[in-house]
Amino acid sequence: MLKIAVMIKQVPDSQDISIDPVTKTLNRSMARNVVNPPDVNATEAAIQLKDKYGGEITVITMGPPMADTALLQLMGMGADNGVLVTDRVFAGADTWPTGFTLASVADFLGGFDVIFCGEETTDSSTGHVGPGIAEFLGYEQATYVHKVEYENGFLIVVRDIEGAEETIKIGTPAVLTITLNANEPRNPTLKRKIDAYKKGIRLVTNKELQLDPACIGLKGSPTIVKDMKTVPDPIKNPSKPTIEELDKVVSVLIEKGVVK
Amino acid sequence: MMSDYDAIVVGAGNAGSAAAITMASKGLSVLLIDRSDPPGTKNLSGGVLWGNDLAKILPKWQSEAPLERFIQDKKIGFLTEKSSIIIDFKTKIFEENKVGHTVLRSKFDPWLAKKAKEAGATVIPGITVESLVKKDGKVIGVEESGDVVTSNVVILAEGINPRLAIEAGLRPPLQDWEVSVGVKEIIKLSPQKIEDRFNLSSTSGLASEYIMGNLGELNAGAFFYTNKDSISLGIVAPMERLRENGVIHTYDIIEQFKEHPSIAPLIDGGTVAEYGAHMIPEGGLEMVPQLFGDGYMIVGDSAGFGFSNGLVLQGMNYAFLSGILAGEAAVEAKSRNDFSSSSLSAYKRKLDNSYVLKDLRTFKDIRKVTNNKSMYTTYPKMLESILLEMLWERGQPKKKVREILGSCAADLNVGKLKTATDFYYMYRRM
Repeated sequence: MLKIAVMIKQVPDSQDISIDPVTKTLNRSMARNVVNPPDVNATEAAIQLKDKYGGEITVITMGPPMADTALLQLMGMGADNGVLVTDRVFAGADTWPTGFTLASVADFLGGFDVIFCGEETTDSSTGHVGPGIAEFLGYEQATYVHKVEYENGFLIVVRDIEGAEETIKIGTPAVLTITLNANEPRNPTLKRKIDAYKKGIRLVTNKELQLDPACIGLKGSPTIVKDMKTVPDPIKNPSKPTIEELDKVVSVLIEKGVVK
Repeated sequence: MMSDYDAIVVGAGNAGSAAAITMASKGLSVLLIDRSDPPGTKNLSGGVLWGNDLAKILPKWQSEAPLERFIQDKKIGFLTEKSSIIIDFKTKIFEENKVGHTVLRSKFDPWLAKKAKEAGATVIPGITVESLVKKDGKVIGVEESGDVVTSNVVILAEGINPRLAIEAGLRPPLQDWEVSVGVKEIIKLSPQKIEDRFNLSSTSGLASEYIMGNLGELNAGAFFYTNKDSISLGIVAPMERLRENGVIHTYDIIEQFKEHPSIAPLIDGGTVAEYGAHMIPEGGLEMVPQLFGDGYMIVGDSAGFGFSNGLVLQGMNYAFLSGILAGEAAVEAKSRNDFSSSSLSAYKRKLDNSYVLKDLRTFKDIRKVTNNKSMYTTYPKMLESILLEMLWERGQPKKKVREILGSCAADLNVGKLKTATDFYYMYRRM
């Protein structure tokens, strides 16, 4: 029986966010919170693995108390347990302390055979956290995975490598990051959601984890955001070509024999 | 066989959550299901909430709920192509009582559902119930993804288009005459601009409702409400009129409202943050279905509980009260351990004694007024002509009001008798 974890994040719906031109921070006030889309694919991949080979799935997130709704949604799809890592001391974390904290949680929960993550989050798009967890734990890892099979303690996974596929066999325990649209996630069902609601979410704070305050949250984050800019959509906002530029285009077209 | 819950409520809008709070706080086991996650975020209404009924279940609603601005200034009026004729009612009485507030449902409804959860209800968002389950003619639960969850009573708070109730044969499909279409935009504007522009404090707000005399026979109304840092505005037009007049794109008519010379300057510099459309129950008493039966009750918009006389549009308060009364009926039914039709008929009796059904009865003929095309075409123009005659000094001999009325009616080709009867019926029915 496989012991499986899925590390997920609640993110603002990317359709609803903008950048505040003054404070240079993300304006999320109008945004609804959703589960980071590839994390839903990661959960589906975990459920498919469990359905085929047996196991128990724990979905884990680090976030504010309201992130419990994300866990309940994924438990409604078929994950067995939900763990919410929530503590003020974790706030403001960049990818380093996030990877460190989640790896520590995995360790605290006794370790896993397979840890699934989404390929990256829609609100920062670094793709650091999955590999970070693997490194902190000393697990095997495969990124940008869209197919997973399990065989005698090994995982056979298919990776997207920009225009091609790569099939590799890796050992366990391992961290797999799953691509967006790798599969078609099932919908949560009423019955499973009620069961999840009854079962509840396990809360984990730093009281239990006892992590060094210098390695977590804002204090543990080496990244400093200096500036953020909204880049206008070049297709919606084309700069007007000058007459000289147009002349140049025409002369090139004549040269190539496209126009006469 | 024991049911899974005492009550299942379908829909976490104002009616559904009010019912859930009423029942859960009296110790019933309640399952509240909503299709959106967070619960209620797909709900939409104009945005003025009158909270007298809400206070019955949540006495501290004014300090706890996500409210925008209290209504200090209420305007009603007519718009013609070039003019606006407005009654501006600004009163200390509203300020002292603060029971009317603008709200944004995408914030308010999740809060109300959270209150249901705090009262002890199991709140499950993000699930669309597929069908009602009946056994021996009695509603015994709901079905989703092949799973059946059972309850002693199901309260249908599905909103204006109650698919479950219709499919289970508990009410006929909606007819055009029963509904209006509301189209709404939320326009971002800084609190500073809103307060300067509308002469408001940081907490007070404006709610305006108009008869649109510039949209011909669409019989359209419009609303304009201030939130903390946005404006909610929109138009409402009867489905029948839209269809008869071949209107396919309702956004065309909201544009005409936004571009009206008296409205455009009010939203100048604002950006559209959200838009939406929704149906509104306007069929009055005639559209109210059988409200209860063995194992079920119907509340809120699903029951057709709304009020409109063309100038005043209300629904959320009716939703609260009908939800509360259905909840009370369920609590009483539980104490008798009898959820049969005759036991749940207490809900109807409570409604009969409340303003919900009293209003619908009092105004049962109101559609003859709101359906009268002259209300929207002739009379706003007539008012405009009268005011022009009276208030525009252009070197002409002045006329008595009686003469002005006569000549305006003649100009607009309305018979005096027709006008007299229209006003007589308006007087009788409004």
